[in-house]
Amino acid sequence: MLITQDKINEAISTIIEHGGRGILNCVQCGACSAICPGVRAGFPLLCRNLIRHLLNGQLEEIIEDSSSWACQACCRCTEVCPQGVRPQEVVFAFRRYQANQLAFSTSSVTSQMNLFETGHAVYVDPKEARRMVGLPEKTPTSAFDERAKQEIQTLINNSPMGQLGLF
Amino acid sequence: MAKVGVYVCHCGTNIAGVIDVSALRDFAETLPDVVIARKDLFMCSDSGQEMVKKDVIDGLVDRVVVAACTPRTHEPIFRAAIEKAGLNKYLFEMANIRDQGSWVHGHDHDGATEKAKKIVASAVGKARNLEPLEDKFVPVTDAALVIGAGIGGISAALELAKMGHKTYLVEKRPSIGGTMAQLDKTFPTNDCSACILTPMMVEAYNHPNIETLTYSEVDDVSGYIGNFTVKIRQKQTYVDWSRCTGCGDCASKCPAKVSDEFNMGLSDRRAAYIMFPQAVPKKAVVDIEHCLNCADRKIGTLPKINEKTGRPILAPCERACQAEAINRSVAYNPEGAVREVEVGSIVVATGYQVMDKGWFKEMAPDSPNVITALQLERIISATGPTEGKLLRPSDKEKPHTITFVSCMGSRDENFHTYCSRFCCMYMIKQARLIKEKYPDIAINMHFIDVRSAGKGYDEYYTGARKMGINFFKGKVGGLEILPDDRLRVLAYDMESAVNVEYESDLVVLATAVELPQDATTLAQKLGLQFCGANFFRELHPKLGPVETATEGLFLAGCCQGPKDIPDTVSQAKGAAAAAAVPLAQGKVRIEPIISEVHAEVCSGCGICIPLCPYHAISMSTYADRPRAQIEMSACKGCGVCTSACPSGAIVLHGYDESQIFAQIEALTA
Amino acid sequence: MEKIGLYLGCNIPLKAPDIEQSFRKVFPALGIEPVDLQGASCCPSWGTAPSFDLNTWCAISSRNIVIAEDQGVDIMTGCNSCFGILSEAKHFLEDTARRKSVNEQLKAIGREFKGTSDIYHISHVLHRKVGVQKIREKLKYSLDGLKIAVQPGCHSLWPTEVFKITEDNPYQPTILRELCEATGATVPHYSRLEGCCGMGGLRSTDMEKSLKLFRDKLISMKEEADADMIVTTCSSCYLQFDMSQPLLKERGLIDFDPIPTFYYTQVLALAMGFDPSQVAAISQIDRRAIIGEMQSEKRLIKEVA
Repeated sequence: MLITQDKINEAISTIIEHGGRGILNCVQCGACSAICPGVRAGFPLLCRNLIRHLLNGQLEEIIEDSSSWACQACCRCTEVCPQGVRPQEVVFAFRRYQANQLAFSTSSVTSQMNLFETGHAVYVDPKEARRMVGLPEKTPTSAFDERAKQEIQTLINNSPMGQLGLF
Repeated sequence: MAKVGVYVCHCGTNIAGVIDVSALRDFAETLPDVVIARKDLFMCSDSGQEMVKKDVIDGLVDRVVVAACTPRTHEPIFRAAIEKAGLNKYLFEMANIRDQGSWVHGHDHDGATEKAKKIVASAVGKARNLEPLEDKFVPVTDAALVIGAGIGGISAALELAKMGHKTYLVEKRPSIGGTMAQLDKTFPTNDCSACILTPMMVEAYNHPNIETLTYSEVDDVSGYIGNFTVKIRQKQTYVDWSRCTGCGDCASKCPAKVSDEFNMGLSDRRAAYIMFPQAVPKKAVVDIEHCLNCADRKIGTLPKINEKTGRPILAPCERACQAEAINRSVAYNPEGAVREVEVGSIVVATGYQVMDKGWFKEMAPDSPNVITALQLERIISATGPTEGKLLRPSDKEKPHTITFVSCMGSRDENFHTYCSRFCCMYMIKQARLIKEKYPDIAINMHFIDVRSAGKGYDEYYTGARKMGINFFKGKVGGLEILPDDRLRVLAYDMESAVNVEYESDLVVLATAVELPQDATTLAQKLGLQFCGANFFRELHPKLGPVETATEGLFLAGCCQGPKDIPDTVSQAKGAAAAAAVPLAQGKVRIEPIISEVHAEVCSGCGICIPLCPYHAISMSTYADRPRAQIEMSACKGCGVCTSACPSGAIVLHGYDESQIFAQIEALTA
Repeated sequence: MEKIGLYLGCNIPLKAPDIEQSFRKVFPALGIEPVDLQGASCCPSWGTAPSFDLNTWCAISSRNIVIAEDQGVDIMTGCNSCFGILSEAKHFLEDTARRKSVNEQLKAIGREFKGTSDIYHISHVLHRKVGVQKIREKLKYSLDGLKIAVQPGCHSLWPTEVFKITEDNPYQPTILRELCEATGATVPHYSRLEGCCGMGGLRSTDMEKSLKLFRDKLISMKEEADADMIVTTCSSCYLQFDMSQPLLKERGLIDFDPIPTFYYTQVLALAMGFDPSQVAAISQIDRRAIIGEMQSEKRLIKEVA
């Protein structure tokens, strides 16, 4: 592995820009990885090891790795971290970097589309089930509220997500 | 008119790397009353000092300004130099263009140079108005006080006593010995802790120059270096120690059960108890707070009389005491007795506590099989709750797997950011002792990293690896409680970058070293300050490690910061040597930079009295009227009274009005 | 009656409306009036805006919070993810610079975040505002003798600093246990209580890894707690337990029948005597037997005279 200060600087500033503000606090104690469900399940690049790679400047080298998308955002890492790194925020910052480079799985595109179109990341037609349990067929949520849908679309269109060309 | 000489120091590149020292010298030359301005690579060097001395001897200058570093370290050097050359040493002023200039403005050379000019102009302004002052001396009480009788306090007291100084050794617990008395063995030699400590405890207790006051606390301290008055409260023991033989019969008969502090709560003691078998002094106390007052008889009341026999019905502790040291009919004063002693210097060696496991919620603190390392120390100690047999607390069974977890509350911004320094080594010690005795027990140790800097320490660590103890790099993230009170350890192996999960019978937490709560109260009584890590602050982190900001007050051991036994003993001996200096000199110098009341101007309003942080001001009579008077030896020259006095009657020598206004004028020009 | 905004999220109103119905039955009976947050959207879930842009996340979350603010009510949600997302977003918006730029975004839709509404989980409202005593008083059936394994779920536990209400020890949570015990049921401890069920991003990224994690948790529940049913206050966990147990059984990875799983308010609604066809109607695991047991005649609590 070739370490260069330029690459390290680029990786760190990228992560901080995307919300991983605590990355430089990390002392690599490993407490986060000891309790991370993703690490336990066998994803290699989460928490401590992801931060290590980023601190080595290995941003491009790991861009296709799917580990970050397995982060549950359970934030147990943030709770146990003795240095205030907030590892989940670093993982998500890396995920945002991946997403903005269009390095994400196709399955996650569906939920973005759903969110844009209905205001719900998960959408199934609820009418029959709701009628069955004695509820009004239509939910009081954005799914059946045109103004709400327009508001969500405005917010997304005006954001960096709008630039991704998904919608 | 004053003849001021200005000497600009390059301090190598420390100053000259940022500030244009030539321009600064040129500027200094233009200031009023400046007759000479010179510069040198290092003003504190012999040649630099000689330069100043020569100018004084040649009669060229009679006020000296050195523009260099901090007066804290360097003012004494230059004062001594001009004194040698025949000038009053208080006709000197230092301009700190390093700490307040080059070091903090390294990014702005021009700005730093301009600021340095202001600082120098201000110093010159003050120097022009300086007046000669004379040192004063007061006599010293040839005695010392050592607060805390752990290994640090005992070492300091013995050192002072051997130098011939009367020493009071005060300990709040019933016995001396401190935390070291609770330890089984000590790293890296595996010496039995009691075997090396007990002889020192006995030596200190029996030393003719040491007066040991146990079960005692410092109530109040007043005075100043050389002349402290200390009030020591000996807490009520409810046992006549002049009779008590330390047999322990009272404890064996007392029915009251109290969690045993010496065994870190792993067992019970009685309300009447002797702290531990090797206690010094080996005397019993009755912990009245937990006394059951057997047969409903409060202390200080007469026993009931048995109607048949006509004999008194004594409490079990009374009846057990053959020496008649326990007499519950005596109406003891619950406040104990206050003793006042005069000492010349004080060594504070109050030690530390380890954090309670309850702080670490992720570590199943409610499980009986999660213990602190100090608790494990008691479990493996022959005088502990299991008489040295390694049994896990929940069911008194021998554990098959033991887990050690480092850095609990240390190196953690939620608790303490510092390293507790000796946990790595004592954990390795405990693991080695267990592995030696029970090779079949699996021992897993989890470290962020192993810190083994010390003589023979790294060899001790690598030896542990060779013994088959398992080391994992990576902090434990949590524990889960299994049936049968076993624990699932959620850990990590950093070297292979995978999580580690296994079941353990006993989990030992190396919890952080910290100051006990009551240290804050003591600090207030003594005027001690705290450092950022919340230990007592030493005068200088490198060059004044045993001194404090209060002259005559010294620190030793873990109250100043975490340290192991060898470091504590070294520091204690250092503190003793420093504390002996005023005692050996027989007198102490009082700097003349103190406040003085001009009685003829004072209106006697008394505003200054409550403001003085050193209680140095009182009222006295001057020309039949009450006037403020400042006790010279108590005044620290802080200037609070001077600035508060509505009549302008108080002058702070060395910072008088003309001097301060000259500085302000130069800075605002 | 205290009004609280009922934030539904996605899974509950769309996939599990019987859980929504259980909220609507239980809360008014316990003295809390749920208020609809008309036009509320996805929180937005972790895999959407939070994975792309922090401020977009905050904008969509704050829009949802603003809907409650405008009605002068706090928010309660039954989905752990929504609780986590909304709480985190509110925490981010304590930063004045971020609040300013997010409010710039909200301006385009004519809204403004003020930060006046607090975010509660439904379990918090039941535990702290209603209280276990009141729950006990409203029961029609006692669940005495039934064993429940509880699944609090991650997002109501950590990070404690962003939540309005937290567990005394988030690694040994007790809120759900106490709520279940209020029905008369027994809630044995099991070691993997605070562990992750494997739902969420982990499941969508790698189903096999998710099932492995889930199985460990399930085995701990089965072997250590020997539960008659699993009760959760997280709608995602609910779906994982309901979907993945049959899957494990089908593949021969567990040798016991799937344990019936409920959202807590479903169990509470059943114990309060509400109609199971409304409050506990949708599941993959057959729950008829245990529902029948819960509402059996012998469990009727006799009115105290």
